[in-house]
Amino acid sequence: MKESQHNTTDFGYKTVDREAKASMVADVFHSVAAKYDIMNDLMSFGIHRLWKRQAIACAGVRKGHRVLDLAGGTGDLTAKFSQLVGDTGQVILGDINDSMLKVGRDKLRDLGLVSNIEYVQMNAEALPFPDNSVDVITIAFGLRNVTDKDAALRSMYRILKPGGRLLVLEFSKTDNEALSKLYDFYSFNILPNMGKLVANDSESYRYLAESIRMHPDQETLKGMMENAGFEQATYQNMTGGIVALHRGFKY
Amino acid sequence: MLTTLACAAIENALNLLLDKEPNLKLALDQVKHQTLAVEIRDWHTTYALTFTGRQFMLFNNYQERAECKISAHLETLPELKDPSVMTQLIRQDKLDLEGDLHLAQAYSGAFAKLDIDWAEHLSAFIGDAPAQLIFEKGQQTKACLSRSATTFSDTFTQLMQDELKVAIHPLELQQFKQHTRAIKQHAAQLEQRIEQLLNL
Repeated sequence: MKESQHNTTDFGYKTVDREAKASMVADVFHSVAAKYDIMNDLMSFGIHRLWKRQAIACAGVRKGHRVLDLAGGTGDLTAKFSQLVGDTGQVILGDINDSMLKVGRDKLRDLGLVSNIEYVQMNAEALPFPDNSVDVITIAFGLRNVTDKDAALRSMYRILKPGGRLLVLEFSKTDNEALSKLYDFYSFNILPNMGKLVANDSESYRYLAESIRMHPDQETLKGMMENAGFEQATYQNMTGGIVALHRGFKY
Repeated sequence: MLTTLACAAIENALNLLLDKEPNLKLALDQVKHQTLAVEIRDWHTTYALTFTGRQFMLFNNYQERAECKISAHLETLPELKDPSVMTQLIRQDKLDLEGDLHLAQAYSGAFAKLDIDWAEHLSAFIGDAPAQLIFEKGQQTKACLSRSATTFSDTFTQLMQDELKVAIHPLELQQFKQHTRAIKQHAAQLEQRIEQLLNL
Protein backbone atom coordinates (compact mmCIF):
# COMPACT_ATOMS: atom_id res chain seq x y z
CA MET A 1 0.00 0.00 0.00
CA LYS A 2 2.77 2.36 1.01
CA GLU A 3 4.70 1.51 -2.14
CA SER A 4 1.58 2.10 -4.21
CA GLN A 5 1.16 5.61 -2.71
CA HIS A 6 4.81 6.29 -3.33
CA ASN A 7 4.48 5.36 -7.00
CA THR A 8 1.50 7.56 -7.75
CA THR A 9 1.03 11.27 -8.08
CA ASP A 10 -1.70 13.73 -8.96
CA PHE A 11 -2.59 14.75 -12.45
CA GLY A 12 -5.22 17.37 -11.83
CA TYR A 13 -7.78 15.60 -9.66
CA LYS A 14 -6.75 12.18 -11.01
CA THR A 15 -4.17 9.92 -9.43
CA VAL A 16 -1.75 8.48 -11.95
CA ASP A 17 1.57 6.58 -12.01
CA ARG A 18 4.55 8.83 -11.36
CA GLU A 19 6.17 7.71 -14.61
CA ALA A 20 3.03 8.53 -16.56
CA LYS A 21 2.58 12.12 -15.33
CA ALA A 22 5.42 13.66 -17.36
CA SER A 23 4.10 12.29 -20.64
CA MET A 24 0.51 13.25 -19.73
CA VAL A 25 1.62 16.82 -18.97
CA ALA A 26 3.62 16.76 -22.19
CA ASP A 27 0.47 15.78 -24.11
CA VAL A 28 -1.39 18.74 -22.58
CA PHE A 29 1.29 21.19 -23.67
CA HIS A 30 1.78 19.62 -27.12
CA SER A 31 -1.92 20.25 -27.54
CA VAL A 32 -1.97 23.86 -26.39
CA ALA A 33 1.46 25.08 -27.57
CA ALA A 34 0.29 26.75 -30.77
CA LYS A 35 -2.43 28.77 -29.02
CA TYR A 36 -0.60 29.15 -25.69
CA ASP A 37 0.03 32.90 -25.84
CA ILE A 38 -3.40 33.89 -27.08
CA MET A 39 -5.04 31.63 -24.50
CA ASN A 40 -2.91 33.14 -21.72
CA ASP A 41 -4.06 36.61 -22.69
CA LEU A 42 -7.69 35.53 -22.95
CA MET A 43 -7.76 33.49 -19.76
CA SER A 44 -6.05 36.05 -17.57
CA PHE A 45 -7.39 39.14 -19.39
CA GLY A 46 -3.75 40.02 -20.04
CA ILE A 47 -2.93 40.19 -16.32
CA HIS A 48 -0.32 37.41 -16.70
CA ARG A 49 1.91 40.05 -18.31
CA LEU A 50 1.79 42.13 -15.10
CA TRP A 51 2.53 39.08 -12.93
CA LYS A 52 5.54 38.32 -15.12
CA ARG A 53 6.72 41.95 -14.99
CA GLN A 54 6.71 41.73 -11.19
CA ALA A 55 8.76 38.52 -11.37
CA ILE A 56 11.31 40.19 -13.66
CA ALA A 57 11.54 43.22 -11.34
CA CYS A 58 12.27 40.90 -8.39
CA ALA A 59 14.77 38.73 -10.30
CA GLY A 60 17.59 41.27 -9.99
CA VAL A 61 18.99 40.17 -13.36
CA ARG A 62 21.98 42.22 -14.47
CA LYS A 63 24.43 42.42 -17.32
CA GLY A 64 26.59 39.30 -17.59
CA HIS A 65 24.26 37.06 -15.58
CA ARG A 66 23.51 33.48 -16.55
CA VAL A 67 19.76 33.00 -16.21
CA LEU A 68 17.71 29.83 -16.44
CA ASP A 69 14.09 30.41 -17.44
CA LEU A 70 12.75 27.02 -16.48
CA ALA A 71 9.45 25.81 -17.94
CA GLY A 72 9.94 28.97 -19.98
CA GLY A 73 7.31 27.97 -22.52
CA THR A 74 6.93 30.59 -25.16
CA GLY A 75 9.68 32.77 -23.74
CA ASP A 76 7.93 35.79 -22.22
CA LEU A 77 10.49 36.09 -19.42
CA THR A 78 13.40 35.08 -21.64
CA ALA A 79 12.66 37.97 -24.02
CA LYS A 80 13.19 40.48 -21.20
CA PHE A 81 16.09 38.64 -19.54
CA SER A 82 17.91 38.38 -22.86
CA GLN A 83 18.03 42.17 -23.07
CA LEU A 84 18.95 42.64 -19.42
CA VAL A 85 21.93 40.24 -19.45
CA GLY A 86 23.35 41.76 -22.64
CA ASP A 87 25.97 40.20 -24.88
CA THR A 88 28.14 39.05 -22.00
CA GLY A 89 25.32 37.13 -20.32
CA GLN A 90 23.27 34.13 -21.28
CA VAL A 91 19.67 33.06 -20.94
CA ILE A 92 18.73 29.40 -21.11
CA LEU A 93 15.13 28.75 -22.05
CA GLY A 94 14.41 25.33 -20.61
CA ASP A 95 11.25 23.30 -21.02
CA ILE A 96 10.42 19.63 -20.87
CA ASN A 97 8.17 20.02 -23.88
CA ASP A 98 9.72 20.40 -27.31
CA SER A 99 6.55 21.86 -28.86
CA MET A 100 6.64 24.73 -26.39
CA LEU A 101 10.36 25.23 -26.98
CA LYS A 102 9.82 25.43 -30.73
CA VAL A 103 7.05 28.01 -30.34
CA GLY A 104 9.26 29.99 -27.93
CA ARG A 105 12.27 29.82 -30.23
CA ASP A 106 10.26 31.03 -33.25
CA LYS A 107 8.77 33.87 -31.24
CA LEU A 108 12.10 35.07 -29.84
CA ARG A 109 13.79 34.84 -33.23
CA ASP A 110 10.98 36.93 -34.72
CA LEU A 111 11.76 39.52 -32.03
CA GLY A 112 15.39 39.52 -33.16
CA LEU A 113 16.62 37.95 -29.91
CA VAL A 114 19.16 35.36 -30.99
CA SER A 115 22.67 36.04 -29.74
CA ASN A 116 22.49 35.10 -26.07
CA ILE A 117 19.66 32.58 -25.80
CA GLU A 118 20.08 28.83 -25.61
CA TYR A 119 17.18 26.40 -25.91
CA VAL A 120 17.42 23.23 -23.88
CA GLN A 121 14.84 20.50 -23.43
CA MET A 122 15.18 19.44 -19.83
CA ASN A 123 13.49 17.90 -16.85
CA ALA A 124 13.37 20.23 -13.85
CA GLU A 125 13.97 17.28 -11.51
CA ALA A 126 17.42 16.61 -12.98
CA LEU A 127 18.80 19.82 -14.42
CA PRO A 128 21.66 19.19 -16.85
CA PHE A 129 24.01 21.84 -15.45
CA PRO A 130 27.05 21.76 -13.17
CA ASP A 131 26.80 22.81 -9.52
CA ASN A 132 26.94 26.57 -8.82
CA SER A 133 26.66 27.59 -12.46
CA VAL A 134 23.56 29.81 -12.73
CA ASP A 135 22.89 33.27 -11.24
CA VAL A 136 19.10 33.37 -11.40
CA ILE A 137 16.45 30.70 -11.98
CA THR A 138 12.83 31.50 -12.71
CA ILE A 139 10.01 29.05 -13.10
CA ALA A 140 6.76 30.72 -14.08
CA PHE A 141 3.56 28.67 -14.10
CA GLY A 142 5.58 25.47 -14.41
CA LEU A 143 6.27 24.02 -10.98
CA ARG A 144 2.76 22.65 -10.51
CA ASN A 145 3.28 20.40 -13.56
CA VAL A 146 6.46 18.87 -12.17
CA THR A 147 5.98 15.36 -10.79
CA ASP A 148 8.49 15.57 -7.92
CA LYS A 149 8.54 19.21 -6.86
CA ASP A 150 10.95 18.61 -3.98
CA ALA A 151 13.48 16.98 -6.32
CA ALA A 152 13.09 19.88 -8.74
CA LEU A 153 13.70 22.46 -6.00
CA ARG A 154 16.78 20.55 -4.81
CA SER A 155 18.07 20.41 -8.38
CA MET A 156 17.58 24.16 -8.78
CA TYR A 157 19.37 24.79 -5.50
CA ARG A 158 22.29 22.65 -6.65
CA ILE A 159 22.94 24.57 -9.87
CA LEU A 160 22.48 28.05 -8.38
CA LYS A 161 25.65 30.00 -7.63
CA PRO A 162 26.07 31.19 -4.04
CA GLY A 163 24.24 34.54 -3.93
CA GLY A 164 21.90 33.34 -6.65
CA ARG A 165 18.16 33.32 -6.37
CA LEU A 166 15.14 31.30 -7.42
CA LEU A 167 11.80 32.86 -8.33
CA VAL A 168 8.71 30.72 -8.51
CA LEU A 169 5.69 32.38 -10.08
CA GLU A 170 2.71 30.12 -9.73
CA PHE A 171 -1.02 30.01 -9.21
CA SER A 172 -1.81 29.80 -5.53
CA LYS A 173 -4.60 30.05 -3.00
CA THR A 174 -6.73 33.10 -2.36
CA ASP A 175 -8.03 33.65 1.18
CA ASN A 176 -10.85 35.90 0.00
CA GLU A 177 -13.98 33.75 0.07
CA ALA A 178 -15.94 35.76 -2.50
CA LEU A 179 -13.00 35.89 -4.88
CA SER A 180 -12.38 32.19 -4.35
CA LYS A 181 -15.97 31.29 -5.34
CA LEU A 182 -15.83 33.52 -8.39
CA TYR A 183 -12.46 32.08 -9.34
CA ASP A 184 -13.74 28.49 -8.98
CA PHE A 185 -16.75 29.24 -11.14
CA TYR A 186 -14.53 30.86 -13.76
CA SER A 187 -11.96 28.03 -13.67
CA PHE A 188 -14.34 25.10 -13.94
CA ASN A 189 -17.12 26.55 -16.08
CA ILE A 190 -15.78 29.29 -18.28
CA LEU A 191 -12.13 28.28 -18.77
CA PRO A 192 -12.72 24.80 -20.32
CA ASN A 193 -15.32 26.29 -22.68
CA MET A 194 -12.93 29.05 -23.65
CA GLY A 195 -10.30 26.37 -24.34
CA LYS A 196 -12.77 24.44 -26.46
CA LEU A 197 -13.67 27.51 -28.49
CA VAL A 198 -10.19 28.90 -29.08
CA ALA A 199 -7.86 25.89 -28.92
CA ASN A 200 -10.46 23.16 -29.56
CA ASP A 201 -9.29 21.47 -26.36
CA SER A 202 -11.38 21.68 -23.21
CA GLU A 203 -9.66 18.80 -21.35
CA SER A 204 -6.28 20.52 -21.22
CA TYR A 205 -7.85 23.59 -19.67
CA ARG A 206 -9.81 21.47 -17.22
CA TYR A 207 -6.44 19.96 -16.22
CA LEU A 208 -5.08 23.51 -15.81
CA ALA A 209 -7.87 24.37 -13.34
CA GLU A 210 -7.48 21.08 -11.45
CA SER A 211 -3.69 21.27 -11.28
CA ILE A 212 -3.94 24.77 -9.78
CA ARG A 213 -6.18 23.44 -7.00
CA MET A 214 -3.77 20.56 -6.31
CA HIS A 215 -0.71 22.84 -6.13
CA PRO A 216 0.67 23.55 -2.63
CA ASP A 217 -0.48 26.80 -1.02
CA GLN A 218 1.87 29.72 -0.32
CA GLU A 219 3.13 28.60 3.08
CA THR A 220 3.61 24.98 2.01
CA LEU A 221 5.65 25.98 -1.02
CA LYS A 222 7.72 28.33 1.11
CA GLY A 223 8.42 25.41 3.46
CA MET A 224 9.36 23.19 0.51
CA MET A 225 11.84 25.82 -0.67
CA GLU A 226 13.37 26.02 2.80
CA ASN A 227 13.62 22.23 2.96
CA ALA A 228 15.49 22.27 -0.35
CA GLY A 229 18.04 24.61 1.21
CA PHE A 230 16.86 28.04 0.12
CA GLU A 231 17.35 30.88 2.57
CA GLN A 232 15.30 34.03 3.12
CA ALA A 233 12.37 32.37 1.36
CA THR A 234 9.52 34.85 1.03
CA TYR A 235 6.45 35.24 -1.10
CA GLN A 236 4.20 38.00 -2.28
CA ASN A 237 0.59 37.50 -3.27
CA MET A 238 -0.74 39.04 -6.44
CA THR A 239 -4.35 39.57 -7.50
CA GLY A 240 -5.66 38.53 -4.09
CA GLY A 241 -3.47 35.41 -3.88
CA ILE A 242 -4.60 33.91 -7.19
CA VAL A 243 -0.92 34.04 -8.05
CA ALA A 244 2.06 34.11 -5.69
CA LEU A 245 5.68 34.98 -6.36
CA HIS A 246 8.05 33.01 -4.14
CA ARG A 247 11.68 34.01 -3.84
CA GLY A 248 14.56 32.21 -2.17
CA PHE A 249 18.33 32.66 -2.08
CA LYS A 250 21.31 30.35 -1.98
CA TYR A 251 24.22 31.58 0.11
CA MET B 1 -1.21 45.87 -9.92
CA LEU B 2 -2.49 49.25 -11.12
CA THR B 3 0.95 50.76 -10.54
CA THR B 4 2.51 47.89 -12.51
CA LEU B 5 0.02 48.54 -15.30
CA ALA B 6 0.88 52.26 -15.28
CA CYS B 7 4.59 51.38 -15.40
CA ALA B 8 4.01 49.07 -18.37
CA ALA B 9 2.17 51.88 -20.17
CA ILE B 10 4.97 54.38 -19.46
CA GLU B 11 7.56 51.82 -20.58
CA ASN B 12 5.68 51.36 -23.85
CA ALA B 13 5.51 55.13 -24.34
CA LEU B 14 9.26 55.45 -23.68
CA ASN B 15 10.02 52.68 -26.17
CA LEU B 16 7.81 54.36 -28.75
CA LEU B 17 9.77 57.54 -28.14
CA LEU B 18 12.98 55.59 -28.60
CA ASP B 19 11.79 54.37 -32.01
CA LYS B 20 10.89 57.89 -33.09
CA GLU B 21 13.99 59.60 -31.73
CA PRO B 22 17.17 57.72 -32.68
CA ASN B 23 19.24 60.44 -30.99
CA LEU B 24 17.93 59.28 -27.63
CA LYS B 25 19.42 55.84 -28.24
CA LEU B 26 22.78 57.41 -29.10
CA ALA B 27 22.70 59.70 -26.06
CA LEU B 28 22.07 56.77 -23.73
CA ASP B 29 24.45 54.31 -25.36
CA GLN B 30 27.15 55.07 -22.77
CA VAL B 31 24.87 54.12 -19.88
CA LYS B 32 23.20 51.03 -21.29
CA HIS B 33 22.60 48.17 -18.85
CA GLN B 34 22.96 50.59 -15.96
CA THR B 35 19.96 51.10 -13.72
CA LEU B 36 18.72 54.44 -12.51
CA ALA B 37 16.45 54.08 -9.48
CA VAL B 38 14.17 56.97 -8.57
CA GLU B 39 12.57 57.02 -5.15
CA ILE B 40 9.52 59.27 -5.01
CA ARG B 41 9.33 60.33 -1.38
CA ASP B 42 5.65 61.33 -1.54
CA TRP B 43 4.64 57.81 -2.56
CA HIS B 44 7.31 55.87 -0.61
CA THR B 45 8.11 53.81 -3.67
CA THR B 46 11.08 53.33 -5.98
CA TYR B 47 11.01 53.04 -9.75
CA ALA B 48 13.91 51.70 -11.79
CA LEU B 49 14.74 52.59 -15.36
CA THR B 50 17.21 50.53 -17.39
CA PHE B 51 18.17 51.11 -21.00
CA THR B 52 19.25 47.79 -22.52
CA GLY B 53 20.56 49.21 -25.78
CA ARG B 54 17.35 48.18 -27.55
CA GLN B 55 14.60 49.14 -25.16
CA PHE B 56 13.77 50.80 -21.89
CA MET B 57 12.63 48.69 -18.99
CA LEU B 58 10.76 50.37 -16.18
CA PHE B 59 9.91 48.60 -12.96
CA ASN B 60 7.99 49.75 -9.91
CA ASN B 61 8.56 48.79 -6.28
CA TYR B 62 12.21 48.14 -7.09
CA GLN B 63 14.35 46.82 -4.24
CA GLU B 64 17.49 45.72 -6.07
CA ARG B 65 20.87 47.41 -6.37
CA ALA B 66 21.06 50.29 -8.85
CA GLU B 67 24.10 52.10 -10.25
CA CYS B 68 22.49 55.38 -9.27
CA LYS B 69 19.63 56.05 -6.91
CA ILE B 70 17.98 59.42 -6.53
CA SER B 71 15.40 60.31 -3.96
CA ALA B 72 13.21 63.39 -4.28
CA HIS B 73 9.70 64.74 -3.87
CA LEU B 74 7.45 64.70 -6.89
CA GLU B 75 7.60 68.50 -7.23
CA THR B 76 11.41 68.36 -7.54
CA LEU B 77 11.47 65.86 -10.40
CA PRO B 78 10.69 68.33 -13.23
CA GLU B 79 13.72 70.39 -12.15
CA LEU B 80 15.96 67.40 -12.95
CA LYS B 81 15.47 68.15 -16.65
CA ASP B 82 18.41 70.52 -16.23
CA PRO B 83 21.48 68.40 -15.28
CA SER B 84 23.33 71.49 -14.00
CA VAL B 85 20.87 72.07 -11.12
CA MET B 86 21.43 68.64 -9.57
CA THR B 87 24.27 69.63 -7.26
CA GLN B 88 22.30 72.70 -6.23
CA LEU B 89 19.26 70.53 -5.39
CA ILE B 90 21.46 68.18 -3.36
CA ARG B 91 22.84 71.15 -1.38
CA GLN B 92 19.26 72.32 -0.72
CA ASP B 93 18.37 68.83 0.59
CA LYS B 94 15.72 68.54 -2.11
CA LEU B 95 17.55 65.62 -3.69
CA ASP B 96 19.48 62.64 -2.33
CA LEU B 97 21.80 60.86 -4.68
CA GLU B 98 23.68 57.60 -4.14
CA GLY B 99 25.98 56.14 -6.75
CA ASP B 100 27.08 57.47 -10.09
CA LEU B 101 26.04 61.10 -10.58
CA HIS B 102 26.97 60.87 -14.27
CA LEU B 103 24.27 58.26 -14.87
CA ALA B 104 21.57 60.59 -13.55
CA GLN B 105 23.03 63.45 -15.57
CA ALA B 106 23.16 61.29 -18.71
CA TYR B 107 19.45 60.42 -18.42
CA SER B 108 18.57 63.98 -17.52
CA GLY B 109 20.58 65.40 -20.42
CA ALA B 110 19.25 62.87 -22.95
CA PHE B 111 15.63 63.65 -22.14
CA ALA B 112 16.24 67.41 -21.90
CA LYS B 113 17.74 67.46 -25.39
CA LEU B 114 14.72 65.76 -26.91
CA ASP B 115 13.23 67.87 -29.64
CA ILE B 116 10.33 65.84 -30.91
CA ASP B 117 8.78 66.89 -34.19
CA TRP B 118 5.24 65.77 -33.34
CA ALA B 119 3.83 67.14 -36.62
CA GLU B 120 6.28 65.02 -38.60
CA HIS B 121 5.32 61.85 -36.71
CA LEU B 122 1.61 62.62 -36.96
CA SER B 123 1.88 63.27 -40.71
CA ALA B 124 2.69 59.59 -41.27
CA PHE B 125 -0.87 58.75 -40.20
CA ILE B 126 -3.01 61.66 -41.43
CA GLY B 127 -0.94 63.48 -44.03
CA ASP B 128 1.21 66.62 -43.99
CA ALA B 129 -1.42 69.39 -44.15
CA PRO B 130 -3.80 68.06 -41.46
CA ALA B 131 -0.85 67.23 -39.19
CA GLN B 132 0.57 70.75 -39.53
CA LEU B 133 -2.89 72.26 -38.96
CA ILE B 134 -3.50 70.17 -35.84
CA PHE B 135 -0.03 70.98 -34.56
CA GLU B 136 -0.50 74.75 -35.11
CA LYS B 137 -3.93 74.67 -33.46
CA GLY B 138 -2.41 72.75 -30.57
CA GLN B 139 0.33 75.34 -30.18
CA GLN B 140 -2.23 78.16 -30.30
CA THR B 141 -4.43 76.42 -27.72
CA LYS B 142 -1.42 75.86 -25.50
CA ALA B 143 -0.40 79.53 -25.75
CA CYS B 144 -4.00 80.62 -25.12
CA LEU B 145 -4.31 78.35 -22.06
CA SER B 146 -0.98 79.61 -20.78
CA ARG B 147 -2.12 83.26 -21.18
CA SER B 148 -5.45 82.48 -19.49
CA ALA B 149 -3.65 80.77 -16.60
CA THR B 150 -1.36 83.81 -16.16
CA THR B 151 -4.33 86.22 -16.31
CA PHE B 152 -6.29 84.13 -13.82
CA SER B 153 -3.31 83.96 -11.49
CA ASP B 154 -2.73 87.74 -11.71
CA THR B 155 -6.42 88.53 -11.16
CA PHE B 156 -6.64 86.15 -8.25
CA THR B 157 -3.52 87.65 -6.65
CA GLN B 158 -4.93 91.18 -7.11
CA LEU B 159 -8.26 90.17 -5.60
CA MET B 160 -6.55 88.60 -2.64
CA GLN B 161 -4.43 91.72 -2.11
CA ASP B 162 -7.54 93.93 -2.27
CA GLU B 163 -9.29 91.64 0.15
CA LEU B 164 -6.33 91.85 2.47
CA LYS B 165 -6.73 95.64 2.71
CA VAL B 166 -10.34 95.40 3.90
CA ALA B 167 -10.01 92.21 5.90
CA ILE B 168 -9.66 92.75 9.64
CA HIS B 169 -6.59 91.72 11.54
CA PRO B 170 -6.94 88.81 14.02
CA LEU B 171 -6.18 91.24 16.88
CA GLU B 172 -9.04 93.48 15.74
CA LEU B 173 -11.31 90.46 15.69
CA GLN B 174 -10.22 89.58 19.18
CA GLN B 175 -10.92 93.14 20.36
CA PHE B 176 -14.33 93.08 18.67
CA LYS B 177 -15.18 89.84 20.45
CA GLN B 178 -14.16 91.32 23.78
CA HIS B 179 -16.35 94.43 23.17
CA THR B 180 -19.28 92.23 22.17
CA ARG B 181 -18.89 90.17 25.33
CA ALA B 182 -18.74 93.33 27.47
CA ILE B 183 -21.90 94.77 25.83
CA LYS B 184 -23.69 91.45 26.36
CA GLN B 185 -22.69 91.50 30.00
CA HIS B 186 -23.92 95.12 30.42
CA ALA B 187 -27.19 94.26 28.72
CA ALA B 188 -27.70 91.35 31.10
CA GLN B 189 -26.94 93.57 34.09
CA LEU B 190 -29.36 96.22 32.79
CA GLU B 191 -32.08 93.61 32.28
CA GLN B 192 -31.60 92.37 35.81
CA ARG B 193 -31.78 95.93 37.19
CA ILE B 194 -35.00 96.71 35.24
CA GLU B 195 -36.57 93.53 36.61
CA GLN B 196 -35.62 94.55 40.14
CA LEU B 197 -37.14 98.05 39.63
CA LEU B 198 -40.36 96.58 38.24
CA ASN B 199 -40.68 94.23 41.21
CA LEU B 200 -40.43 97.06 43.73
